[in-house]
Amino acid sequence: MVRNYKWFLGSLLLLVNLFGQVKLSVKTIPKKVNIILDGINIGKSPIINDRITPGIHKFEIAKSGFAPITYDILVNPSQAVHLDFFMNPIYQVKFKTQEKGLVFELNGEHLWDDPFIRLDLEAGDHFLRVFKLNEIIDEQTIHVDEPKKFNYYLKKLISEK
Amino acid sequence: MKKLPKYFLFLFLGSLYSTNLEPTFLVLNHFDKFLPNADSSLIENFSNSTFEFDSTFQILFEDIDNHENPAASHMVTIKELGEKYQVNYILFNRIEHINDRFILNGLLFNTRSGGLIHRRKIDLKQYLNGQINELNMWVGNTVGQVEKNWENNRKSILFSDPEEINYQKTPRGAAIRSLAAPGWGQAYSGKKISAGLWASTESSLSIAAIISFLNYDKAAKSFKKNSKLYHGTNDEKDVANYRTAAENDWNDHVTFSALAIAFAGATGTGWVANSVHAWIVGPRAYKNLYQKWDPKSPNTTG
Repeated sequence: MVRNYKWFLGSLLLLVNLFGQVKLSVKTIPKKVNIILDGINIGKSPIINDRITPGIHKFEIAKSGFAPITYDILVNPSQAVHLDFFMNPIYQVKFKTQEKGLVFELNGEHLWDDPFIRLDLEAGDHFLRVFKLNEIIDEQTIHVDEPKKFNYYLKKLISEK
Repeated sequence: MKKLPKYFLFLFLGSLYSTNLEPTFLVLNHFDKFLPNADSSLIENFSNSTFEFDSTFQILFEDIDNHENPAASHMVTIKELGEKYQVNYILFNRIEHINDRFILNGLLFNTRSGGLIHRRKIDLKQYLNGQINELNMWVGNTVGQVEKNWENNRKSILFSDPEEINYQKTPRGAAIRSLAAPGWGQAYSGKKISAGLWASTESSLSIAAIISFLNYDKAAKSFKKNSKLYHGTNDEKDVANYRTAAENDWNDHVTFSALAIAFAGATGTGWVANSVHAWIVGPRAYKNLYQKWDPKSPNTTG
C-alpha cells in the first residue's frame, strides 16, 4: 500500500513536471548551430519540440564566422515558444591608406595608425572617425556586407592639386 | 511632449469554413504604424479563411508581460471573445517600429481554455514589405501554411554566410588563367598593362629559349658533321678547315646550350611568377573611401 502510494506520488510529480513545461522550438539562420540553454548544450538547430520550464532563461548561440548571440528570455507558461535567431556574419576586412599621419577609430573603440590592417568586422554599418594631428578631420559610416578591402583617401584642396 | 503612437487595430475573423474540423481564428492586429496592405495580404494569402474587421478593441494584451501569470491573465476575455465570435483561437499580433527595426510579437490563445498556446517574437531589420511578410509567416506558421517566397524574402535582408559567398571572378581564377597563358589572369582582372607586359616578356623569353635551342641543335649537328668529315679526310687543308669548323660548332653548341637553359629557366620562373602575380593582383572586393568632410570648412565637432 505504501509502495503504491509512493509510486502514485512519483507519477504525479512526473506528470506535473511534464505538463508544467513549455514546448520549445529554436530555428537559426544559418542552420546547425549549437544552442546552449542555461549553460547546457541542447543540440544543434533547428530544435523542434524540446521542453523548457517557465521562467527566465538564457540562450547562448555561437558559430565560427558569426557574431555570438546571448538572449535572455522570460518564458511564459504557454504551450509552446518558438524562437528565431538570425546570426550576423563576421567578415574579414582589410583597411589600407597611403595617406600619412592619420589615426583611425572604428565604432569609438578600435584605434590604429597603421597604413594597412586586417579587421574582423560584424556585417552591417560601422562608424569610422579619422584624426590628423589630434583633430577630427573626417567621420563617416562604412557598410560592411562582404569580405573586402577599404582604401581611404583624403580629399585634396583645389590649391593643392 | 512625447507624441503618442497611433495605434491602428484591426480585428478580423478568419473562419475556415471548408470543413468543420478546420480551426477558426479571430485575428487581432495591433500596429504602431498603419500598414495599408496587412488585411488584404492576409485575405489573399489565406484564401480558405474568411475575415471580418472590427476596431472596438483599443489596447488589448498590451501589458501581458507585466502579469504574474501572463498566459492565464486574459483567460476570461479570451473565452468571452471565443464565444462571441465562435472561434477556436485568437491570434494577437503586435508590430512596433524602433528606428530601422521592427518587432513582431505574436500570441496565439485557445478560446476553449483561454490560455496562451504559442508565442513568437521577431526582432528584425526592416526590409521591403517586411512587416507584412513577417505577419504572413507567423500566421502561416500557425495555420501550417508557409510559402517559400516569404522565407526567401526574409533571407534577402540577411547578410551572406562568408562560406557561401561566390564571386564571379577570383584570384584563384586569375592564377589558373595565367598559368595557362601568361598575362591572361592579369587581363581577366582588368590589369591590361601588366597583362601586356607579362605576355610580351614571357613570349620574348620563350622565343629566345626556342631560338637558342634551335641554334644549339644546329651547332651540335654541324659539330658531328664536321667531326665526321674531319676524321674522314687526309687532306691537310680540309683537316684544318673541318677542325676549325668543328671547334666553332663546339663553342656555339656550348654557348647556345647555356643560353637555352638560361632562357628556359627564365621562362619557367617567369611563368610561375606571372601566375603568382595574377593571384596577388587578382579580382578582390574593395571600396574606396574618400574623406567626406570638406577640408576647407572649419571643424564642426563640439
